[in-house]
Amino acid sequence: MSLANYIIYRITQAFITFLGASLLIFLFVRLLPGDPARLIAGPEALEEDVQRIRVQLGLNKPLYEQFAVYMASLLRGDLGTSIKYGTPVLDEILTRLPYTLALAFTAEALAVAIAVPLGILAALKPRSLVSQLVSVLAVVGASLPVFWTGLMLIFIFSVELKLLPSSGSGSPRHLILPSVTLAFFLIGNLARITRAAVMESLGSNHVVTARAKGLSLSKILMRHVLRNSLVPILTVASVQLGALLGGAVVTETVFAWPGIGSLLIDSLFFRDYPLAQGVIMFTIGAFILINIVTDILYALVDPRVREILWKTV
Amino acid sequence: MEDSLTLRIKEAKRKRLLEVWEAFKSNRVALATLIIIIFVILITFIGPYIAPYDPYSFDLRKARQPPSREHVLGTDELGRDILSRLLVGARYTVGISVVSIAIGASLGTLLGLISGYKGGFWDSLIQRINDVLLAFPTILLAIALVAFRGPGISSLVLAIAVSFMPVYVRLVRASVLQVVVEDYIAAAKLLGLSSWRIMLKHILPNVMSPVIVQATYHMGLAILVASALGFLGLGVPPPTPEWGSMIGTGKIYLFSAPHIVVFPGLFISITIIAFNILGDGLRDALDPRARTLLRRF
Amino acid sequence: MSELLRVEDLRVYYHLPQGTVKAVDGVSFNLNRGEILGVAGESGSGKSTLALALAGLLRPPAVIESGRILFNGLDLTRLGESEWRKLRGKKISMIFQDPSTYLNPVYTSGFQVAEVYEAHRGGRVSKYMDLVKDLYRKVKMADPERRVHSYPHQMSGGMKQRVLISMAIAEKPDLIIADEPTSALDVTIQAEIIELLREIRAETGSSIIFITHDLALLLEIADRIMIMYAGKMVELGRSSELREKPLHPYTKGLLSVLKPERKQKLASIPGSIPSLIDPPKGCRFHPRCPMAMPECSRIQPRMTKVNGRIVSCLLYEG
Repeated sequence: MSLANYIIYRITQAFITFLGASLLIFLFVRLLPGDPARLIAGPEALEEDVQRIRVQLGLNKPLYEQFAVYMASLLRGDLGTSIKYGTPVLDEILTRLPYTLALAFTAEALAVAIAVPLGILAALKPRSLVSQLVSVLAVVGASLPVFWTGLMLIFIFSVELKLLPSSGSGSPRHLILPSVTLAFFLIGNLARITRAAVMESLGSNHVVTARAKGLSLSKILMRHVLRNSLVPILTVASVQLGALLGGAVVTETVFAWPGIGSLLIDSLFFRDYPLAQGVIMFTIGAFILINIVTDILYALVDPRVREILWKTV
Repeated sequence: MEDSLTLRIKEAKRKRLLEVWEAFKSNRVALATLIIIIFVILITFIGPYIAPYDPYSFDLRKARQPPSREHVLGTDELGRDILSRLLVGARYTVGISVVSIAIGASLGTLLGLISGYKGGFWDSLIQRINDVLLAFPTILLAIALVAFRGPGISSLVLAIAVSFMPVYVRLVRASVLQVVVEDYIAAAKLLGLSSWRIMLKHILPNVMSPVIVQATYHMGLAILVASALGFLGLGVPPPTPEWGSMIGTGKIYLFSAPHIVVFPGLFISITIIAFNILGDGLRDALDPRARTLLRRF
Repeated sequence: MSELLRVEDLRVYYHLPQGTVKAVDGVSFNLNRGEILGVAGESGSGKSTLALALAGLLRPPAVIESGRILFNGLDLTRLGESEWRKLRGKKISMIFQDPSTYLNPVYTSGFQVAEVYEAHRGGRVSKYMDLVKDLYRKVKMADPERRVHSYPHQMSGGMKQRVLISMAIAEKPDLIIADEPTSALDVTIQAEIIELLREIRAETGSSIIFITHDLALLLEIADRIMIMYAGKMVELGRSSELREKPLHPYTKGLLSVLKPERKQKLASIPGSIPSLIDPPKGCRFHPRCPMAMPECSRIQPRMTKVNGRIVSCLLYEG
């Protein structure tokens, strides 16, 4: 099928998934132990206040009606109102979103900038020190808890060396430690997969054909090796998105970085459930969107993918 | 009474097991990690009995002491012996993770079997639900589940099991689809064996290998998630000595008493590294060709 | 001078940790312009290694241990990679066995063929598309205009092989090395491809080295045939003469497999190829040879000229 058809198919599929995810979260919150209205009102509230909140949030209506209202407002972009701040959830999210984006992009960019060249080098020199380094990094990097490496980095750089700030977000310097922490988690696996993908491409028969044609080395590398390695690398990068998100939540907490990760955790502690729910829905929506983009990138890079109608492992 | 065919099948299975064990044994690093993990699992059982101090009794006068002869790993912010807390905490950090993954993997495998073998309506239903679950980044799902159910062991177990289950559904379904076209399955069907019997006795053994390897990797990852939740204060509530929450409560003393943070982190890291290397070793022993397929995430 | 290629005592060894594999162990022959030379042998005979050596495509652990390859007087064994790059695709080209794996799945077929022109004439790939369409017409590709934009996975085996052939003939090379070009295709397509190669030779005067395990094929298409066994050349001569009167016992065996004697139902040569790390002493074929003499296990036969044929067998040594 053509690229356009594939895109339409993916978007439709994603929308259905989003619907399902919304339902799930909706059920989570509604099935909370205890009465949501009471929880929101607080332990000291009077009965009439609780009832008022109940009506206000439409909690006295049947479940499916509640869900319909909920979905309608979601699609309108209305994620509810925060209890703590009193402002629309969406506003809170959008205020803090740039921080998380900055963190995520910097970390991913750092990880790619280090891991991919490392992986390519390790593939070109299979039994070298570089290759062994990649293997070790792959295991260790993915095994050390992000919050721990963050704290260790703080200890080394902020406490002992007094080089970098340990928390807050005032300047670009504040971004260094958090993004390095997050990048460290991602580098190992990325480098290892790059190495495997490049090695496989290097050994493949179409590279022999390329040589037999008299193509220059740089063209062979760029066109026939790296381009073919992109697919597995893209796969890992997209799988790492989940880890990136989780890592961001933890990293933001460790470094008091004002992104939506720390917003989520804070909201949970303040029992600000509308806010928490809103952040989760937003994140899922973003996640699904990014997955679509990645899939489209795949289809662009590898024409065979366009024929695959259903993804199997 | 067993006929010669059954005996030969048993013999073949035993030989294969030995083959796998031999292949695994030759990987000395993996063997070492197996020993480490057995050691850690042992601690989850006997931890409380070998701990030198009571992990819960605190003494503010002895707070934040660095490692000494009395307290090998020092004391935490409330004066509790860190080593004892780590030994007892193993059952929370490691024990919960391992059990949760076992549950998630089993459930996921079951669903994958049904989905792949029965096909049709069940397949579509299970796949749709699976897609929804997979739409969540793993940690987010775990956070959501724990947050909305309230902290506690059962929440944590549920969260981890449900978050990791979808991978097995997919993995097993794909394997089942490959196995189901084999002749011996057609033969079994012709013999009139019930679906469940075919699924459990004939298909399951052939899809087990990737499940075992993936589960091993996941146990490491689950420890990561569990300790992260503990760190964030969303896991088992204090004063339970879960390794992650030890770091969470101890982090404000990072500047003055870093050992409170360093040692639990070390224990977590080493255990996870061991699980990851063990996973690599199992994967290589079971099927060296699977190197590119199975991932640690 | 009508001699295009001369190979002198070529040895190609693979240096592996388990030992040294003597894949090609002392092969000599020559090739004239416009000639089709067939190279026949079982798998493991060294014929593919020979092909790679002639195209300069050997990679470590394979090395040219000794010997010379003279191409138009130029010694190919002495060439560096950059010099090879000027030759490959332009003067010496190769057609491979399995078009599925030898084509890159992420580029269109036209793009990959046009790369040959790009490599030797410069410029951008896009400006050579018309030339590629001409090539496709020449190789009798169905619907050439559309096929240029097709991806390999959208094409059949026969089409893909035509793509590889197009690449090989694009710059009208002096030498085309075809390594089992039809082995992955079915019989009807095989016949078409063979016919195509004959036409190419007739039109352009390129020499073709046709490597295959299928001797019957060579008897049809090749002018001369060289039989290889376990890294050594055992017989070399005109196909018609070879068919009428094979000299080497191995050749006789191969021919009898093709056309069994009246009484035999199924013919084969008993035994299997020896290990190339530790080949048998003396003549490598002697363990399977029906005419083996006691000396065959001690003395290695040398290449002897017999009536315009070259044979490596103690039976014919003086």
